[in-house]
Amino acid sequence: MSILDRHAATRHLDDDDLADIWSRAATDGRAASHPHLTSCAHCRVRYSAFTGWLGELRSEAHAEADGVFPPERLAAQQAAIVRRLEALERPARVIAFPRQTRPVSGARPLARRWIATAAAAGLVIGLAAGQILDLRHAFDTSAQPPRPSGQLTQGPQSAAVRQPGVQPASLSVDETLFYDDESDATARGARYMPALDQLIPRARDDSDRNR
Amino acid sequence: MSGAQAAGLPSREADSAAASAVKAMQADGRHAEARERYTELVARHQRRAGRIAFHYVRDVAEADEAVQDAFVKAYSHLSTFREELPFEVWFTRILINGCLDRIKARTRRERWLVPMPEYPNQAQGFAERVPGPGPSPESQLLARERRQQLAAALARLPARQRSVFMLSHYEGCTSREVSALTGLNESTVRVHLFRAIRKLRTLLAADGAAPESSGDKRRVNP
Repeated sequence: MSILDRHAATRHLDDDDLADIWSRAATDGRAASHPHLTSCAHCRVRYSAFTGWLGELRSEAHAEADGVFPPERLAAQQAAIVRRLEALERPARVIAFPRQTRPVSGARPLARRWIATAAAAGLVIGLAAGQILDLRHAFDTSAQPPRPSGQLTQGPQSAAVRQPGVQPASLSVDETLFYDDESDATARGARYMPALDQLIPRARDDSDRNR
Repeated sequence: MSGAQAAGLPSREADSAAASAVKAMQADGRHAEARERYTELVARHQRRAGRIAFHYVRDVAEADEAVQDAFVKAYSHLSTFREELPFEVWFTRILINGCLDRIKARTRRERWLVPMPEYPNQAQGFAERVPGPGPSPESQLLARERRQQLAAALARLPARQRSVFMLSHYEGCTSREVSALTGLNESTVRVHLFRAIRKLRTLLAADGAAPESSGDKRRVNP
């Protein structure tokens, strides 16, 4: 026997040794065996206290688990397991979808969508047409040569206003009368304009006089 | 004699034979018979399964569900059961995996939910608070405190140490069985068990629930 072995055999066992002996015995499923335990009564007592403490832990744990699983609960659990096993073997039941009381057609929302689309399209077309007409009008007015300032004095020019081609094609009788009256008034006014024109002093006349 | 047999469990061979018979019945399409036979297996392992599940998840309802799920899963996957492995080990592995999944899911859930405070006295009805023929309220309280201390100490163990300790000590499994259940080496199982006991002793001694350990680490006989 070596010195180390003799030393190991004579020294008392500490907690780690006791735990080691116990865990070896527990995992192997055999009774604890250590050379020092057979010879030292003190360590035997400590070992039995140690195993007693562990036994208490186990009985506490078992009591707690058994307390939360009384026989009634176990019976209910078993019944639930059997029910679930039966359900496993039954083929999956296809639950019919509740039948519709009236046929669902997509026409209504589709019609609503069409109405909205048509309204939007109408708006866009209207705006576009308005823009085009406005542009055309602007083009027509810009294409006419600007009138000279003395144009109103000339009789033939005022007569041109009265030409039927200048008038809008779709005028009512009242509108035509109004149009003619307005043209006459303009022509009449134009006749008196040169007299008024002569009365108004001009900057050009002043500059001629200064010269 | 294995640890499980010492704990009063039925013989492994009989369970494995019963499981194989159920498997054969399932294959033949005799489902009613298979179910009936399997129910016997359920009845034999139910209590132990409930204990293991409760020690893992620490919640009665969840442990109940975990046990149910494990039995149903074992039944539906019985075609993969091999006779060389004891039914108990195979089933316990399914159960433990289910419990670990539940713990993981709960941890994820608790990250987002604040648990409600528990008021056990308010939850009890008046009739339940009337002293009965059972243990006195003081002893009940002491027992509950001891169990809470033990559960708290167990919860502070690393997961592997806790598993090995519960299976070895509570369920009386041998190192080979624990190895088959956890996938660890037998020598690793022994080391984990040793460390678990040492740590538990330290934790419970700090709480006053374990006898004080010897002060000297190495005492030599005079």
